[in-house]
Amino acid sequence: MSLVLDIHALHTLPPSNINRDDTGAPKSAVFGGVPRHRVSSQSWKRAIRRDFEKTLGADHVGFRTKRVADLVADRVQELTKGDDAMWDRERADAAAMNLFTGAGIKLTEAKVREGEEKRGAETGYLLFLSPRQIDNAARKLVETDGAKPSKKEARALLDDAHSIDIAMFGRMVADAPDYNVDASVQVAHAIGIHESEPEFDYYTAVDDIVEDKEETGAGMIGTMQMTSSTLYRFATVDLRSLQENLGDANAAVEATTAFVNSFITSLPSGKQNSYAHNTVPELVYLTIRDTRSLSLVNAFESPVRAADGVSRREAGAQLLASEAKQLESNYGFVPVASFAIGLGALTEPFTEFATVTTLPALADQLRSELTAEDPA
Amino acid sequence: MSATLLLLLKGPMQSWGHTSRYRDRTTASYPTKSGVVGLLAAAEGRRRSAPIEDLARLRFAVRVDQPGSLLHDYQTAQRWQTGGSTSLVSRYYLSDAVFLAAVESPDRELLDGITQSLHSPRFPLFLGRRSCPANADLLQEVHDGDAVDVLRSERWFASEFHRRTRPQQLTLPIFRDALPGEIGDPRQDVPLSFDQTHRRYGWRDVVQDAEGATVENPLGKRKADPFFEEVISA
Repeated sequence: MSLVLDIHALHTLPPSNINRDDTGAPKSAVFGGVPRHRVSSQSWKRAIRRDFEKTLGADHVGFRTKRVADLVADRVQELTKGDDAMWDRERADAAAMNLFTGAGIKLTEAKVREGEEKRGAETGYLLFLSPRQIDNAARKLVETDGAKPSKKEARALLDDAHSIDIAMFGRMVADAPDYNVDASVQVAHAIGIHESEPEFDYYTAVDDIVEDKEETGAGMIGTMQMTSSTLYRFATVDLRSLQENLGDANAAVEATTAFVNSFITSLPSGKQNSYAHNTVPELVYLTIRDTRSLSLVNAFESPVRAADGVSRREAGAQLLASEAKQLESNYGFVPVASFAIGLGALTEPFTEFATVTTLPALADQLRSELTAEDPA
Repeated sequence: MSATLLLLLKGPMQSWGHTSRYRDRTTASYPTKSGVVGLLAAAEGRRRSAPIEDLARLRFAVRVDQPGSLLHDYQTAQRWQTGGSTSLVSRYYLSDAVFLAAVESPDRELLDGITQSLHSPRFPLFLGRRSCPANADLLQEVHDGDAVDVLRSERWFASEFHRRTRPQQLTLPIFRDALPGEIGDPRQDVPLSFDQTHRRYGWRDVVQDAEGATVENPLGKRKADPFFEEVISA
């Protein structure tokens, strides 16, 4: 049986601009016929990856770069440093080149601007490699004196020991699709539960020196766009695919609990220093299902309005709970387990069908639910 | 007699690319056959390299319940661990759109089997792009009859907001596979293989059904603007 973990969150942001479009405005989308605030999935996934790096350590997080050959060559040099014959850069570069051409991945000489240091060859796109893959590849190259590996050997090196973020968010290798990894986690674009349009913040900045001379007027003027909203955020983890990508059932459960934690506590850092928008979701609802994953976004198709002493957060929590309840009773989608975490009375509408818990306690509860039945 | 499985495709965002290349990822104005067949294949747990001829052979039709609007998403990809320049990607989505997709087969059991896997799919389902999760009420029933007839008789799924902007009686466009000998708009969205080493798509002719689906709209406006209606139904 296959399990999926769905995570839903209501997350209120103060005036901020965490994810911008090409004009500098907060991203938006029309839903239910009205404009809403939107934060793209790519933006939030990046915040989650950075959070992984902090909480799990850099070893568990992959490098996403065109300069993979440099990373391998660096590692080769590091590995041979202990011996009395450290490989020079040329030899290490040639070995790394052999590895990637052996794998069918094309490298081209990097264009270097005047005054810049020479760099190793690059791939034509961002390639995702885990620290373990880089290390294994470098060791193999040292062992075989930098020989070009066969496609089979290259595959064993570059398609094994994926980092958590590669296993979750996938990998795309344009010229060698054999190395592609299909994502096991889906993250939806976060979308406002209510109507909102960006506001223009007109600002003036004072010139200190000019002001000291008692001259009036602004040193400069400008506008910034910002918005404040309550977002519905959704992501789903497919445990069986994650287990296949990581090659281990326990690792999949640990990765899932780490993901839940980072999903809840991470934030895209756009304009962080201008707005200090450091909030966490006020309500999180988690479901573990053996049927299909279910987004509850359509609970907010009619935009939420605060009215009659009910705040936007409260109205949002009630709508989310009623949508979840109806999917259970009217469609028969009953989850294996469900949990709610929230501030104040926001979890109240969930008490009859979900276990109310706390974030510190959640990890253990998830572990026991996810390992109770073998997700394979 | 043939049977038809209905799928409701509805959400804040969906995206159905059929001519996308490289850094400009476009969307068609209604779902592609390859997108919907891909969704069925994912539900059944078929790998990218698995054969899909049986699914691609199903007759396909789409009804536009709510056309939605085009959304441009501008994305930057940065190499933040090692530094360096930024690449730009444009992705297009349909926001706020609602479609009813129909797949038709003479073999009802085949459709019942697909229904089962859609209820408990092997891979997560999405509306054309992974960041657009499928809606909870995606799976509608299997009906007797051919795709166009079933689409004509099914209720209208548009949001209340959208209903208020439309007249009291209107015709929803239906786009279907051309019949043998019929001429339509050629479109390269019949999946032959989803294998990433040699992804291939065949051509089909798409015809906008002359009749469409006529629905009553008690919430609608009494006076409709024929020009606006012509544009929005196109």
